[in-house]
Amino acid sequence: MSTHRISMTVNGRTCEADVPARLTLADFVREHLDLTATHLGCEHGVCGACTVLVDGRAARSCILLAVQAEGAQITTLEGVARGSELHPVQRAFWEKHGMQCGFCTPGFVLTVVELLERHPTPTREQVSEALGGHLCRCTGYVKIVEAVDEAARLLAEERG
Amino acid sequence: MSATAAPPRAFGAPLKRKEDPRLLRGEGRYVADLKVHRMAHAAVLRSPHAHALVRAIRLDALRADPRTLDVVVGADVADLPHILCIDAEETTRLFTQPLLAVDKVRYVGEPLAVVVVEGDRYDAEDVLGLIDVEYEPLPAVVDAEAALANGAPILHEETNVCDVLEYATGDIGAIDRAPHRLRRRFVTQRHAGTPLETRGCLADYDARRDQITLWTSTQTPHGVKRGLAYHLGLPESALRVVAPDVGGGFGTKLQIYQEEVLICLLARRLRRPVKWVEDRWEHFVATTHGREQTHDIEVGYDEDGVVVGVRDHAVTDTGAYLARLTLVEPFIGVAMLRGPYRIPNFEARSAIVMTNKTPMNPFRGVGHIQAAQAMDGMLDDIARERGLDPAEVRRRNMLKPEELPLDIGVGNVLAGPVIYDSGNYPEALRRALELVGYDQFRAEQARMRERGRYLGIGIGCYVEETALGPYESGTVRVEPSGQVVVLTGACTSGQGHHTVLAQIAADELGVSPDDVVVVHGDTDLVREGVGTYASRSAPIAGTAVRNAGMAARRKILAVAEHLLEANAGDLVLEGGRVFVAGSPERGLALAEVAQAVAPGCDLPPGIDSYGIDETDIFHPPTNAFPYGVHVATVEVDIETGVVTPMKLAVVSDAGRLINPLIVEGQYQGGVALGIGGALLEEILYTEDGQPANPNFMDYLLPAVDNMPEILLDHLHTPTPHNPDGMKGCGEGGAIGPPAAIANAVSDALSPFGIVVTRTPVTPLRVYELLVEAGVVAPP
Amino acid sequence: MKPPAFDYAAPDLLDEAVSLLRSHEDAKVLAGGQSLLPLMNFRLAAPSLLVDLRRIRGLERLDAVDGVVRIGAMVRQRDAEERPETAAVPLLREALRHVAHPQIRSRGTIGGSVAHADPAAELPAVLVALDGRVRAVSSGGERWIDARDLFRGLFTTALEPAEILTEVELPIAPPRTGAACVEVARRSGDYALCGALAQVTLAVDGTVEAARVALIGVGSCPVRRVDVEEALEGEAPTAERIADASARAAGGLDPPSDVQASADYRRHLARVLTRRALELAVERAG
Repeated sequence: MSTHRISMTVNGRTCEADVPARLTLADFVREHLDLTATHLGCEHGVCGACTVLVDGRAARSCILLAVQAEGAQITTLEGVARGSELHPVQRAFWEKHGMQCGFCTPGFVLTVVELLERHPTPTREQVSEALGGHLCRCTGYVKIVEAVDEAARLLAEERG
Repeated sequence: MSATAAPPRAFGAPLKRKEDPRLLRGEGRYVADLKVHRMAHAAVLRSPHAHALVRAIRLDALRADPRTLDVVVGADVADLPHILCIDAEETTRLFTQPLLAVDKVRYVGEPLAVVVVEGDRYDAEDVLGLIDVEYEPLPAVVDAEAALANGAPILHEETNVCDVLEYATGDIGAIDRAPHRLRRRFVTQRHAGTPLETRGCLADYDARRDQITLWTSTQTPHGVKRGLAYHLGLPESALRVVAPDVGGGFGTKLQIYQEEVLICLLARRLRRPVKWVEDRWEHFVATTHGREQTHDIEVGYDEDGVVVGVRDHAVTDTGAYLARLTLVEPFIGVAMLRGPYRIPNFEARSAIVMTNKTPMNPFRGVGHIQAAQAMDGMLDDIARERGLDPAEVRRRNMLKPEELPLDIGVGNVLAGPVIYDSGNYPEALRRALELVGYDQFRAEQARMRERGRYLGIGIGCYVEETALGPYESGTVRVEPSGQVVVLTGACTSGQGHHTVLAQIAADELGVSPDDVVVVHGDTDLVREGVGTYASRSAPIAGTAVRNAGMAARRKILAVAEHLLEANAGDLVLEGGRVFVAGSPERGLALAEVAQAVAPGCDLPPGIDSYGIDETDIFHPPTNAFPYGVHVATVEVDIETGVVTPMKLAVVSDAGRLINPLIVEGQYQGGVALGIGGALLEEILYTEDGQPANPNFMDYLLPAVDNMPEILLDHLHTPTPHNPDGMKGCGEGGAIGPPAAIANAVSDALSPFGIVVTRTPVTPLRVYELLVEAGVVAPP
Repeated sequence: MKPPAFDYAAPDLLDEAVSLLRSHEDAKVLAGGQSLLPLMNFRLAAPSLLVDLRRIRGLERLDAVDGVVRIGAMVRQRDAEERPETAAVPLLREALRHVAHPQIRSRGTIGGSVAHADPAAELPAVLVALDGRVRAVSSGGERWIDARDLFRGLFTTALEPAEILTEVELPIAPPRTGAACVEVARRSGDYALCGALAQVTLAVDGTVEAARVALIGVGSCPVRRVDVEEALEGEAPTAERIADASARAAGGLDPPSDVQASADYRRHLARVLTRRALELAVERAG
């Protein structure tokens, strides 16, 4: 089994490591970088809990090898907050009770961060499409959708 | 009393959760996130056969791999007790499960060995493949009817019938004498719980204290601790169980599992921390399933559609072994069958049948789903036969508030007799129909039918047994710094306990919930507890905190009386201080009160213990009974068979609610589970017992677009069984949807005489019903 | 659910990639990995070597020229969805909206999906419907494979073991063309139980100048429905005509039966969804 030297930027910091070919990006961030907010809910690309941003786009880190992410910019949940202040998307999830057990939440937050960057006033369809890639067993999604609306509002407020 | 306005009570306020900022920052710590120095990883060898003799297990190749640290097989632990079933009746055959299979395996996924490696989970899975097991496959049985037939493969001994629970109350002959009788079979499918976080645990052995610490994703750390003591023969002091952040439970984590015992055993033996995280495939085969039950139900009724009696024969296809609370589904399915309806003449048999499938335990809503499906299905049958509106049939049969409390004449070992406590079922129905717009819907339905579109509306009602004992612990403490600390035996897996229990304590002590720290989940810190399931945390854990809070308040007042030379009746607790009403400067900070009774001080007269530290272990006198009415509207595409849920109105009554925002989340989440059961989820096995869909691509959880518009409303009839009148609300949302949606589909397709009696209501099933009814010509 | 051990290479040159595939019997091409890696996590696939195409230049081209759109194998599905060049192939855009979820489409590739040849997948059906073709490179040189020759069976294409699909070519739609993809799926983004892809071009007089129909989920490969197309071409696309033509959609089909859908149900859906897809395509063409 081959090992490979990889280098990527995670939450703004350059990381270099020697990893086995089969190590997934999810396990790389969780085990090598101690960034455990990226959760493994299924390990076959369906539930979305492991979603991170790869070069700004939401992607499943459980079906992405660390070696494939060579040279990429990765953002995990730990990279979303602005220093000690929550990002508006995080604040919105809090305000609207958009989470219960919190296990699926990191994936949702990153998808919503990307969604609102690309579509600051998303249509119902765009929201459904983005959220449709995530499973939640606790909330029934209602308050997650409300959190998206609230996040859009907070971000718009920020833009002035 | 104070002349100024009382500050707003935290109880009843829709406060946002204290838990969230940490989790949102990514500072959650679930079991899989925990890392301990020198941690080794484990993997579990599981049976690939549904039914087989185990002739030999060869470990040479495994042991030869340099990564292998240790392995345990069935023979090593054959002397240790089986997983305990605590709700077995006297008649129950104890078909219990050993920690590891020894000479027979009875379901795909049954554990045979646990391996520990130097390396990571990747390595652990690699070496599993080196274990050589010689199986002699046996014929498998995956269907309850087949398991009951002559000549069926027998899983344990003599018979596959584990027990038959029987209940009879009133005049059961009344059914046969009734002017009209109808009977039907209703089928509820097998479910998997699938919280987003699978199970998992990390055990560490501390030689200095001779103590095992087990971090585990559980709903019941105290239950796991008692279980470890039981299985491993160790004293309580040798064990500490800690629940870290838990990513959902829904019943799948309410017992001690084999892996928890074995990981502890291995950690102790290796003198190293050992971690095991269940993967998603494992979850589908190794974590308890729910719900698979059939009802053959017969109702007798009169000219006016009033039910005279019900006779029911239920069969629960339970799986290969009894788990801790396996009898709850079969019990509740018949015990709560009559729901909110007046049916004094009742006879039921509930058979529990073993098949070569994963064992079953309660899963959110347990048994009430199947009951509603059958009972409300029959009431719709009555409506059709009598030409009555289905809502009217409900009205004619519902118990009125003045008829409660009502002992309905059934009970069990675990929970005692079923006595409906309080409620207004007809009002819940009225409101639900109004909320969904029932009358307008009927008009709309007629208009759409003319345009060839088929809309339907359906009702599902339930009364739910919750708030199970035997007890729960709560502690309220004021530390010398003034910090208020609450300890609870409840164990959160997303329900917001840190917020709601803080709300209760905050009101007692006159502080803000933000200033209350809630501690749970660590058996070294919280000495007594039971855990979270059966919607018991608000009514039982909440009441324990309420009682402890009241005791702490009394002590604070008693101390302050002395220190302020005032009467307790003139004192107010507010803003973290205790002071004379109207003269806030004549007061003390809570810190000062706590310091005044700290060890080293002279206790004031009448005070006989140090500290402000009160514990209550609340034993509820009996269960509570929240209830609800769900009304669903759907559209059925008769060309494709696809059912689209439109609206779901839920009117429920869980007594007084601590935090309406959290309660909303509980109902919405419950409804999602219910939608899954109504339309999407089904655990399938092939004929030879192989799981057919043990993954998220083929076992379908609802996603955002599968959800109807949810309309919620509440009644608040308190239960007399605890001072806050709380009944427990975590499960109600999940109970009504399958009944309401199945009935709505039948209503939509009533022009064709189609009745839906089976869930999930899949497009294929609807298509086949349409073909059978001659609506669609087969190709 | 961790994958078994394997070797990994990410060559810079296509020739190197081909050579690696030739010299390792058990090697597999890695494009987006969205189909392959789940199988490997389940340990249902265990290639000894993965040959990652991500560094090979030229596999990400996307251009519209000479009446066709040429899409490099490594173009991400999301890019294909969003780049202006693909507006010229409305059926592709329509189909892509149904492919899984945006988070999968970030990584999944056009070439990967075509080469994977899942009969319930949309992209192979787009190729089949539009008579597209693919370019493939092996040690023997390069060749074009027409869509009708490409899909051989369940997850099987005409590609040789050491042959790499490098490009997908689809015809640019003429003016007055509408496209639709209509599926029955249990949840949005799930694999369809059955689906119909239709593209209709209307003549100036409003009659059907060209119709293209392909079905997914009805066999081991996507199925082109020429008889449905011929029944419509030259005719006014009335509801009756469309229904009539769609009735032929089930002819000769031998769909699979599984727990989600029986063969009969799939045949039935073939007709219904063909009709709905054609109606929608006509509406969008006008």
